[in-house]
Amino acid sequence: MLSFIGRSIIQKIITLFFVSVVSFLIIHLAPGKPSQVDPLNPKFTPEMVERFRKEFHLDKPLYIQYIYFYRNLFTGKTVSWKDNQSALKKIWERFLNSLPLFIVGTILTWTLSFPIGIRSAIFRGGFYDRSSTFFSYLLISIPGFFFAYILIIFVVNSFHVPVIGMETFGIGDPSWPRWLMDRVWHLLLPSVLGATGGIAILSRYVRSQMLEVESQDYVRTARAKGVPEEQVLYKHALRNALLPFVTMFGLILPGLIGGSVIIESIFSWPGMGRMAYEAILARDYPIILTVNFISAVLVLAGTFVSDVLYMVVDPRIRL
Amino acid sequence: MTIRKILIFTPILVIFFLLQSYFWVPTYEEQSRGNPERLNEYIAASIGDASILNPILSADSASSDINSKVFEGLIDRDEELRFRGRLARSWDIHEEAFFYVNEKANIPGVGKVGAKKVVELLKRAKAGDLPASDEVRASLDNIREISIIPAREFLVTRHEKKTETDQEDIEVRIRVMAPNRIKLVLSSVDQDVFQSLSSILGKDYFSSFNGGDYLHVDQELGEKKSAAYAREILPSTEHNPIVVFKLRPDVKFHDGHIFDANDVKFTFEAIMNPKNLSPRVADYEPVKEVQAVDPLTVRIVYKRLYSPALGTWSMGILPEHLLNDETLRDEANRVGKDPEKFSIRQSSFNRHPIGCGPFVFRQWKSDQYITLNGFDDYWEGLPNYKKFIYRIVPDLLTQEMEFYAGTIDSYNVQPHQVQRLKNDPGYQCFSGPSFGYTYIGYNMRREPFNDPIVRRALGMAIDVNKIIDYVLHGQGESITGPFVKVTDYYNHRIKPLPYDPQGALKLLEEAGWRRNKEGWLEKNGKRFQFTLITNSGNDLRKAILAIAQDAWRQIGIDVRTDLLEWAVFIQERVDKADFDALILGWFMGIEPDLYQIWHSSQTNPYQLNFVGFKNPQADDLIIKIRQEYDHDRQVAYCHQLHKIIAEEQPYTFLYVTKWTAILDKRIVIKETDEKGNVVYKKITPTKTGSYTFYFNKWIKLPEVPSFALDG
Repeated sequence: MLSFIGRSIIQKIITLFFVSVVSFLIIHLAPGKPSQVDPLNPKFTPEMVERFRKEFHLDKPLYIQYIYFYRNLFTGKTVSWKDNQSALKKIWERFLNSLPLFIVGTILTWTLSFPIGIRSAIFRGGFYDRSSTFFSYLLISIPGFFFAYILIIFVVNSFHVPVIGMETFGIGDPSWPRWLMDRVWHLLLPSVLGATGGIAILSRYVRSQMLEVESQDYVRTARAKGVPEEQVLYKHALRNALLPFVTMFGLILPGLIGGSVIIESIFSWPGMGRMAYEAILARDYPIILTVNFISAVLVLAGTFVSDVLYMVVDPRIRL
Repeated sequence: MTIRKILIFTPILVIFFLLQSYFWVPTYEEQSRGNPERLNEYIAASIGDASILNPILSADSASSDINSKVFEGLIDRDEELRFRGRLARSWDIHEEAFFYVNEKANIPGVGKVGAKKVVELLKRAKAGDLPASDEVRASLDNIREISIIPAREFLVTRHEKKTETDQEDIEVRIRVMAPNRIKLVLSSVDQDVFQSLSSILGKDYFSSFNGGDYLHVDQELGEKKSAAYAREILPSTEHNPIVVFKLRPDVKFHDGHIFDANDVKFTFEAIMNPKNLSPRVADYEPVKEVQAVDPLTVRIVYKRLYSPALGTWSMGILPEHLLNDETLRDEANRVGKDPEKFSIRQSSFNRHPIGCGPFVFRQWKSDQYITLNGFDDYWEGLPNYKKFIYRIVPDLLTQEMEFYAGTIDSYNVQPHQVQRLKNDPGYQCFSGPSFGYTYIGYNMRREPFNDPIVRRALGMAIDVNKIIDYVLHGQGESITGPFVKVTDYYNHRIKPLPYDPQGALKLLEEAGWRRNKEGWLEKNGKRFQFTLITNSGNDLRKAILAIAQDAWRQIGIDVRTDLLEWAVFIQERVDKADFDALILGWFMGIEPDLYQIWHSSQTNPYQLNFVGFKNPQADDLIIKIRQEYDHDRQVAYCHQLHKIIAEEQPYTFLYVTKWTAILDKRIVIKETDEKGNVVYKKITPTKTGSYTFYFNKWIKLPEVPSFALDG
């Protein structure tokens, strides 16, 4: 076990190094220039562009820029080109905004998918199963932004309440339950939208896992012993069907920082995804690279966590 | 079974909890009833966030929106787009003109004379002893003082690259023995003063002055270089327009500090300081110096005639006491940065600005909102709205929805929605032409576009009104020339080209183009064929591309079209003037300075006159317009220039778009009359269409008011 952890950490550090090199190269090779040194902007004279290039070290060779950037990142000195704010501070603020969205979305996904999937598996081939399959595919295939627009227009036109942003603007200083509920309401639509895709996919997984486990020998044995059907399903079958989902739990981690670009932009939610997206548009390299690096760390940490979790819950697995 | 129950009840509980929150959220009506303070807040929305809240550094529209509320300039433009004083109470523009005494020139009737004699002669002319035409008379009357600046010697050092490739500079020492110079003080700026004087001093008096005779250079420089130095160091004539601003007394910054002339001087110096990388350097380059004469007087001396320069003083004034070298050094030390490299650009001021505008900066949450509060000590009185909130909503549709939900107070209507929203009883609607236009430009260096008849015919074949009706949903106006349509500079007497394909064919026949058997136009066996290009990603231009192609094909012109990615379009085609015809748009400022786009000196690669328009008459007018300080004369020149450009048709001018904005009907203008009664007035746009002009007097009422005049 310990040797596995040690090996895996070393492997992951090496991977991280390559990720940092490749992402750095990709961003610098991408077409377009940081908005401060864009030669297409008529307001900038060549001298200004030159001075900015110097200030951002863009006149140095790539490998020196690489060293400068990661040196600043590890000493916490990275600043955004756009507004000279510390990159880590910016990311932390945005992370806190994305967090509630992520938590509510995850709760919705994980609480809804299981009952839906299990029921589909129990009544497979029936009307409920078919309609849930239909809706799952519908939700998977409908473009998120389109669905979001439809929902927003519907809610605003029929209920006349604001839905955009983190709170109702100009609400003043209401009592705290009102304040809280107002925030919850603003969370509702974006997190439901963020969760729909997840619910659709996850409930399909649950269904197929249940079906697979149901045909196993130990389930048949349990039934043959005369164990009540409910106990067969929820104790013998479900517990074993849950195993693969433990690994998926580890993989949610990167979603924390990735946020959702589309949902956050549509709902003008000041989260991580939107910040990263706007940084990409402005070619704000420090922000893009920092977000990229952190999410790479989280992906690797996520896989590591799920490996370990798997070992813990499934004693059959020895690494 | 518990597991089953948990599995079923948890999601139900979660969903119930989320849904019940609906009952706590206020609807449109409840927002102001539940929170009366809401009526004192104005919420505006923007697609993008501000980037830097400092008027000398910002370059994006969101930052400018905020800066215009927090900072105040010396002047701005009133309802009629004329300048009016803000931090400056009044201003006066006069001129100091200089010329070197040309002792080698023969003055008619006098001969070769020195400075004293020249002054005497001019004084006699001014007194009316010499015959003079009306224009010369006017110029002479305008002269207030004539004096001699005695000859002097001085040393100039310049750095020069030895050869093109050489990195090292060499120092060039130039000993200048400047001859006597005559200084004229003029009551108002007169760009023709030397032309007038040459009728007295002789036609070549100024042009034959050779500054090179008075320079001694210690290095071999070559003919061209020395002549350039001579022109630069000893120019035969020089205009120095001077603007003297009288500042408003007792104006306070938001932190209570009193505003004075040093702040103006400081703002100018901050812009010109290369460390700050201000994008506005070019605007202030013609300034020779800014002097703070006394705390309430600023004197600005310009190097040359450049009338758009006055408008640059609408720029927000920075507080010197918060950004001077000392405070910056303290700040750098506090945050642990190198004080040498630390400039205004790095200062935290840019996120917590302090100016003397009507609103005080309160808070900025990136990508969420910026809040401003009304400034109690604002010199023009506290704005009616106590709070101004600038929300960042990056999506147009959600902006619209937020407007309907009552959490944004105005909405910029998209062209296709105008019909629907214009007559909505809940909203008041404003609209007006914008400051930009869209055009088809022809590369006049190429056949057959070098012929004005052909260009006119091409324009006549396109039905602009149809474009406006169908592509712009009626939200546009046709345009005939390069000036902003709402300004005086635009010449309304010029008729737009008629839509007349038959007439166009006739014109083309005049130019030698005839239809061949297949129906294509031909001249000397060559088909009329060219490619019309524009950038991709702009649906309006794409639609025009198709419409123009179709219109021209119908009269037998073989038009190909091409859509190019923006960077390629600009860098490879426009900058290198490698195109036949293109569709593009200009966004114009109010100033009528057309030098960059229309002057013949700007036709080289990477310059903006990429169509290659060259017309000596137009060149002359363009220079005169940018040197003229008198509004009426400037307008007259602009009308002439407009006419020339409309005749030449270097562009087919298509349209200006119209903007439309809607506001809640409950927002009105609140004023107090002389007796102290509160009067509510409907918001009416100014002549130029600006509906936010009286923003500081706006307020939202709980009920839609009824006005005596319009019910």
